[in-house]
Amino acid sequence: MTKPVHPTTVWPWIVMALAGLHTFVASMTVSPDAVQGQLSRIMYVHVPSAWLAYLAFGVTMFASAMYLWRKDLKWDRVALASAEIGVVFTGLAIALGMIWAKPTWGVWWTWDSRLTLTAIMFFVYLGYLALRRTTDALDVRAKRAAILGVVAAVQIPLVHFSVVWWRGLHQAPSLIKPDGPEMDTAIVLTLLFAVANFTAMYVAMMFKRIELARLDDAVLVAEQTGSGPVAGEAVTAPDLSGGA
Amino acid sequence: MSRPTATPGFVHQMTTIARRDLLRERRSGEVLWVTLPFGAIALLLVPLAIGTDAPTLRKIGPGMFWVIVMLFGVLIAIRQTNAETTSQRDLVALTGLDPAAIFAGKGLASFLLLLLFETVLGVVAIVLYDVSPVGWVVLPLVLVLAAAGLSLLGTLAAGIVATGQSATALVPLLVAPLSVPLLLGATQALEAIRLDRSSLSWVLLMTIVVLLLAVTGVLSARPLQETA
Repeated sequence: MTKPVHPTTVWPWIVMALAGLHTFVASMTVSPDAVQGQLSRIMYVHVPSAWLAYLAFGVTMFASAMYLWRKDLKWDRVALASAEIGVVFTGLAIALGMIWAKPTWGVWWTWDSRLTLTAIMFFVYLGYLALRRTTDALDVRAKRAAILGVVAAVQIPLVHFSVVWWRGLHQAPSLIKPDGPEMDTAIVLTLLFAVANFTAMYVAMMFKRIELARLDDAVLVAEQTGSGPVAGEAVTAPDLSGGA
Repeated sequence: MSRPTATPGFVHQMTTIARRDLLRERRSGEVLWVTLPFGAIALLLVPLAIGTDAPTLRKIGPGMFWVIVMLFGVLIAIRQTNAETTSQRDLVALTGLDPAAIFAGKGLASFLLLLLFETVLGVVAIVLYDVSPVGWVVLPLVLVLAAAGLSLLGTLAAGIVATGQSATALVPLLVAPLSVPLLLGATQALEAIRLDRSSLSWVLLMTIVVLLLAVTGVLSARPLQETA
């Protein structure tokens, strides 16, 4: 009888297939922008990265609030996994934005409200991850991180609406608007596909990172309670009896 | 038979903790003799690095003042992290004082010290950068709100990090980015007055931040004390 395949085993393969298709569609089939040319293709990675950052930090806030309510460490692991992924994709969104900005705006960085607030959000969540490393006591770590996880989420709407509230170089939302997107249908569809693809990737990474966090916690508990294997335990005394 | 002693009220508990912190500060003189001169030196160093052109200094003076207040103010707000040992925290917790009152008391002490820091550093900035203060009504309000916000943020962050090997470095990492709304509010409110515009929205932003921090601090005081 064949062993049933677990969804977490199949999921990364689905994500990789989607990523391949995304790369092909975004780089080959969609026409370049009339003004920006090929440079506009960065958008197909930059926008979904920024979306993933929002999603990840939103999930961190939700999981943190759930931990404070239920006191269940599984929510703490969800918050950690999501925050780590969020930091990576915030960094990626910033880096891609800078690569796009240099030829377009003439500078790597400008003091636009969206850029500045995104950088601040990046540093706050780096602080969140650093805070988690200050103690090995699981409950203490989870509670402190959960409070910061809830407080830090205030930045998410600030970052998103900054382009509406303050005038700057970064363009205002052009996809999610009350009167519909301003872009060509092919571009919109490719962008939505990219967002779906990145979301699937987030789910795959979450599965793996939560499992890793669970194993990390198990090792910590084993170390703290002394129930884990002891160094040198596998070494046995040599048999000197000569087989007698 | 002795009568049972009434439990002191919230305000009494808060002022007791604040008095303790201020007494400790009077004995150590950390803010007055270390942080304050350090901030003044920073204001002195900036013109040496960017040039001593008077109109430029007049222009950047207010901004530099607020940056120094925010960065060095963090040191004032987190001084309790260094000063308090775990056993001292445990002892305070065992007295049965309301954790929210302890938070408020520590915040009050930091607030008063930050207000002193802002005032002295403000005079230094006026002298060194030839800055003309504007908004005689709004300016004190902004100074009070900035001190309140920074003290609450520092006390909250110090509570979250508690004591630890990396606490001294980690608390500023948490406080500095989160203090941006206060920095923006303070600088923009005074800039608005300079340009004859309304500063109400910026003052409102600072007030909301202060209220949010106060509510978060009070609500999280007990769970944080349990983890200390």
